[in-house]
This record gives sequence, C-alpha cells and structure tokens, in this order.
Amino acid sequence: MRRLLHAILLGLLGAGIVHISVLLLVPEFSERNAWSRLAMATDLYRMTRLDAEAGGTPVVKSVDPLFYAAACRFDLSDGMVRVKAPGNVPFWSVSVYDRSGHNIYSFNDHSATGRVLDSIVLTPAQMIEIRKDLPEELQGAIFVEAAIDEGMFVIRSFVPDDSWKPNVSRFLEQSSCELQDY
Amino acid sequence: MTGQAIPRAGNSTACHGPLPRDIPQRHSSFPRLFMLKNAFLTLLALAIAIGGGGGSVWYALKTQDGIGAIRIGPWTAFPDIGTQAADPYSKARVAREGVLALGQAEGLSFIAERDTDGEQLKRQCAYEIEGGFPTARFWTLYAADRSLGVVETGKPRLAALQSYQVLRQPDNSVVISVSNRPAPGNWLLSDGFGRMHLVLTFYDTPIASSTGLSDVTLPQIVKVGCNA
Repeated sequence: MRRLLHAILLGLLGAGIVHISVLLLVPEFSERNAWSRLAMATDLYRMTRLDAEAGGTPVVKSVDPLFYAAACRFDLSDGMVRVKAPGNVPFWSVSVYDRSGHNIYSFNDHSATGRVLDSIVLTPAQMIEIRKDLPEELQGAIFVEAAIDEGMFVIRSFVPDDSWKPNVSRFLEQSSCELQDY
Repeated sequence: MTGQAIPRAGNSTACHGPLPRDIPQRHSSFPRLFMLKNAFLTLLALAIAIGGGGGSVWYALKTQDGIGAIRIGPWTAFPDIGTQAADPYSKARVAREGVLALGQAEGLSFIAERDTDGEQLKRQCAYEIEGGFPTARFWTLYAADRSLGVVETGKPRLAALQSYQVLRQPDNSVVISVSNRPAPGNWLLSDGFGRMHLVLTFYDTPIASSTGLSDVTLPQIVKVGCNA
C-alpha cells in the first residue's frame, strides 16, 4: 500500500514535469501555427488574404468579421522588406510578427505620414547601414527595426459596412511586399 | 521458496564443485514477483505522469479563462497574448491555434463566455448588452462560436456590430439587443443553438496598454429570455 502511494506521488510529480515540458515544447513543435499555415498557402514575399471573403477557408483564424486582412512572410537575412499599400480606407493597422507568432511591432494609420501605408522592416544592422545615406524615396516610410530573420507582416483593415468592401479589398490586393536590396 | 532453492544448490555443488552459495537465491520466485509489482508501479507512475501532464496542458489550453487573463465583469482579455512578455500558456495557445494576436497599437479583444449572472451564453437566448464603453477610436462586437469565428446565421446580415452604426443613449451609453428576432434600437443578430461567445474589440485604444486597464468598466450582459 505504501508502495502504491509512493508510485502515485511519483506519478504526480512526473505529471508536473511533463506538464511543464509539454507546455514549453508546444510552441517549438506546433505545425498549426500561423507561419506554417501561411507557408502552406503561399510563398515568401506574397501578400495573402487571411479572411474568408477572398474565397476558401481563412488561412489564419480569429479575424474580426468586420475586418479584412492580408499577410506576407519575409526573411530579413535576404535583405530588408518594404510593404506598401495605396488607397484610402477608414482604418488600417499593421503588425509585424516573428516566426512563432509573437507580435514584435504594431502601428496604425495615425502613425503614418498622410495615412499612407509605406513601411520597411529591417534588422538593426541593416538600419545602421541605411542611416548612413537615406535614399530619397524612403524618407516618408515607417522603419520597423526587428532583430529577427523570418517574420510575418499583417495588414488589417476595417470594413464599416458593405459599401466599403470593394474599396478595402482593393486596398489589400494592391498592397505589395517586396524584398529591397541596397 | 527455500524448499525450491536448496535442491538446486545441492545439484550445482555436485557437478561443479564449490560454487558461491548465494547464486540459487536469484532464481527464486520472490524477486520475480517483486519485479513484476515494481514494473506495475513504474508503469502506473509513468501513466499518471504522461497522461496527467499531457491532459492538464490540453485542458489548460482549452479553457478560455486561462492564466494571464484579465477579467472585467463577464469579459475576459489577454492583454499580453502574442507578445514576448506573455506567459507560457498564452504562448502555447498562440502556437496551437495559429492566432495572430492584435498588437498594442491595433487594439484589444474582450471575450465573454458567460452573462453577468455567471450563466453560459447560448445562441438560442436573447441578451441585452448595456453600459458605457471605454475610450477607443471605434469598437466591434460579434457573436462567435466555440472557435471564436463569427456565428453562421445563414442570413445576409452579419452577426456583428460596430460603434459607428450604433444608436446611443443621452448619457453616451449603448444598449444592444442580442436576439434571433429583429429588435428596435441596436440589434445584434444571433441564431442557432448551442454555446455562444461575444467578442468585443476596441481598436486604437489607450486601454491596450495594461496601465489603462485598471479602471475600465465594460457593459453588462443581461439575459432577457430563451427560445426553448
């Protein structure tokens, strides 16, 4: 009886250890995270619609039904990435995520010059390089310094009612996600 | 036990001369039984460890009301979710569900699973959401199913509302009827049967920085009635 109790106690202690290790390993080994889902849908540097409106099931879930969203994957070890979207929509916001889905940086249309989405994601080393001589066409852009290699850039845009749908769709479809080299 | 062991000991001495006396004891049935019991106890301990450890992680990730949650009335928010500062439970939830959480400059989502009286929200019931809303550029409210997608009503009207389209009371508070029948004022369509969540998201809001969360009040969710 004492042995049984001993085994159960040992089991509970082990359960604690397993609990902690499984919890810490889930983010490492998950194949259902946003990066993997996006990778299955499209290639790097391709803007992909995340909402169901564009047809098919949504790539990444839990997007507000009154929002349209698009995302692209990038790899900063290839060089910095520039994201632009033309047009005027009621509200847009942007988030940069690392590979495991952590939000690195976010901003919205109030932070942008003239509410135009023009942003560059780059590593601190690339930032030092570009600061030496900032090209003319990059002066209005928002620089996002992120110490990551692979990441995701997500644009979300508000659709207040049905009449805005074509406008917001066009905004996201005309957005570009380009590798920029210097 | 000893009865079995002694004759063998005699045999071995007869054939090979002097051998250590204690060898035969290893072949007795007592250690074998002991080992079997030991193996059973080890297996039991392992089963509890693996089953209990894995199951508890699964349960912790399944429940909405996890660690790192901030509760305001019936509403729950995870302000740290998706950031590097998040607790391991939030990080695991993000990885498992493929969530791309809103950043602090974007907004903050609150999820209600129960009404103000603590009863589970149901799609077949009518509710009234009433009260003031914290400062934000705008907010959206939608009825969600278990996986937090908007509920499918099969009707052209979306089960969602946003703050630019709501009618306000003289004191700037908002009253919203959640029902499968049209209601005067602000009507949030919900339809079907089963559990329901309400998701209230504030965009471009100062409350997304956690210092602003301490004195936030959110609207009440009061049950009006159910279609049995």
